[in-house]
Amino acid sequence: MIKASNVTKIFTGRGQVVRAVDGVSAEIAPGEVVVIIGPSGSGKSTFLRCLNGLEQFSDGHIVIDGVDLADKKTDINKVRREVGMVFQQFNLFPHKTVLHNITLAQKIVRKRTLKEAEEKARQLLVKVGIGEKESEYPSRLSGGQQQRVAIARALAMDPKVMLFDEPTSALDPEMVGEVLDVMKQLAKEGMTMVVVTHEMGFAREVADRVLFMDAGKLVEEGAPEQIFSNPRHERTQLFLSQIL
Amino acid sequence: MNPDNKTWRAKLLLAVILFGMAAGLYGATLKIDYTWRWNRVPQYFVYKNEELHKAPFDGRVGKITRQGETAVIELIGDAGEKDRVTVDADAVEVSEDDLLFEGDTLGATHQWRLGPLTLGLWTTLWISFFAGIIGMVLGLITGLCRISRNATLRGLAVTYVELVRGTPLLVQIFIFYFFVGTVLNLDRIVAGIAALAIFAGAYVAEIIRAGIQSIPKGQTEAARSLGMTATQNMIHIVLPQAFKRTLPPLAGQFISLIKDSSLVSVIAITDLTKSGREVITSTFATFEIWFTVAALYLILTGILSQVIAWMERRLAVSD
Ligand SMILES: Nc1ncnc2c1ncn2[C@@H]1O[C@H](COP(=O)(O)OP(=O)(O)O)[C@@H](O)[C@H]1O
Ligand SMILES: [Mg+2]
Repeated sequence: MIKASNVTKIFTGRGQVVRAVDGVSAEIAPGEVVVIIGPSGSGKSTFLRCLNGLEQFSDGHIVIDGVDLADKKTDINKVRREVGMVFQQFNLFPHKTVLHNITLAQKIVRKRTLKEAEEKARQLLVKVGIGEKESEYPSRLSGGQQQRVAIARALAMDPKVMLFDEPTSALDPEMVGEVLDVMKQLAKEGMTMVVVTHEMGFAREVADRVLFMDAGKLVEEGAPEQIFSNPRHERTQLFLSQIL
Repeated sequence: MNPDNKTWRAKLLLAVILFGMAAGLYGATLKIDYTWRWNRVPQYFVYKNEELHKAPFDGRVGKITRQGETAVIELIGDAGEKDRVTVDADAVEVSEDDLLFEGDTLGATHQWRLGPLTLGLWTTLWISFFAGIIGMVLGLITGLCRISRNATLRGLAVTYVELVRGTPLLVQIFIFYFFVGTVLNLDRIVAGIAALAIFAGAYVAEIIRAGIQSIPKGQTEAARSLGMTATQNMIHIVLPQAFKRTLPPLAGQFISLIKDSSLVSVIAITDLTKSGREVITSTFATFEIWFTVAALYLILTGILSQVIAWMERRLAVSD
């Protein structure tokens, strides 16, 4: 599904050069749930954003479903339809109702009719547990509800992969569960997911594989039991001892 | 003290101060021995125009048929010509069988006509309207160029904005009229509207640029990650939100535009200000007319403020 080889992202600005992602290679199979963990500033978000072209990587290759992102002929907009993304800050469109948030891209990107798009949107709203909120504006919803709308918005495009960048980090603790439940449900249904999170419980329960990143490098990867109970690298041990 | 009481006292104080200022103004005019003639003002808004109808040939008056408000006068010429003239029933100046010579007054018709102040107000209104629309489009394009990745477009936009903001509007109007207008053979109205539009466009551009840049980057990222193109993102996500945020400064800009439009009177466009000046030369009711002109501008800008406030309330539903 996703094959990243030697991906490197260098930020240059204000006379500084930051290797945010430094030669990361990873493969994600269809239906697999991969959780990326690591300290703040280790390049997790940047790597995730390279996967849907929100960041242009400086070196390496990313192939998604057979399409090479580094290829100049690739239409990135076409790739992004297949790759859903959920952000830490939800990024719902505040000037549109919940329903319109979910139908807009279906109509103008997927070229669905209004009826098809609304049907799909309502179905997904029920699925994420907020069927009754379709005509509210995002500002009237709690953080947890907003994030569930954001997930529905991404799912409405029928993506082949879903990327989550710390989807619960901006939430009040009592709302974390409702969002994680939706994600667990998705994983159960066989969605291919790449999740950056600090929720180790979620990683243990849902992940097929855990990647640990530090200072832009992929330090270690393995099954959750192995990473959490028996980390091989010193930096992984240090990180886990700090957060667990 | 309860808050109701407080606002009441504040309002009273305000009323007293305003009344004092009005009284002072009146006192000042007494001192310079000015006679107010407010009764002369209304006729410059609307007036009844009298049109005299004259006999087209020598002859005599035939039958006069009165029908309600109008009267039809039949004319019989010495050479056998016939004619009928319709005038107002209460303004017939001949009787049946009167002898007529060519050019004699038969009667008159009266019609309500718009006076110069109304026409001037209308001119100001539509000049400002078109200048505002064009200025908005120019400003939008320039604002987008200003944040474009293309350095040439950015440079052009900056040059335009700086040139316009660094020179007085009055000078721009003269340049447009005397230079650009002559080169391109523009009508004075076109030159005036163009000058105002280009002036407003530069300010609108800055407002729009700031508005677009105030929209969080996450909005664009969310839109693009759903597969929207940069253009779709601009149209559906960024601009609607930017528009809402920029509505108050844009409103201020358009209110300024209405007031600034008074400067086009220097290139002999008969807008409200120029009409006022023309009326004064024939009435000498200087103070009354200027106060009236000011009040008319105030009404225009006041209505615009209300419309914008209404739009803001409508857009506020998503807050
Ligand atoms: N747009 C940017 N410009 C410059 N540096 C950036 C930018 N985005 C991220 N960085 C830097 O890249 C590194 C990795 O950031 P990020 O991927 O956000 O880390 P994480 O998500 O793991 O916390 C950090 O040092 C960060 O400061
Ligand atoms: Mg991050």
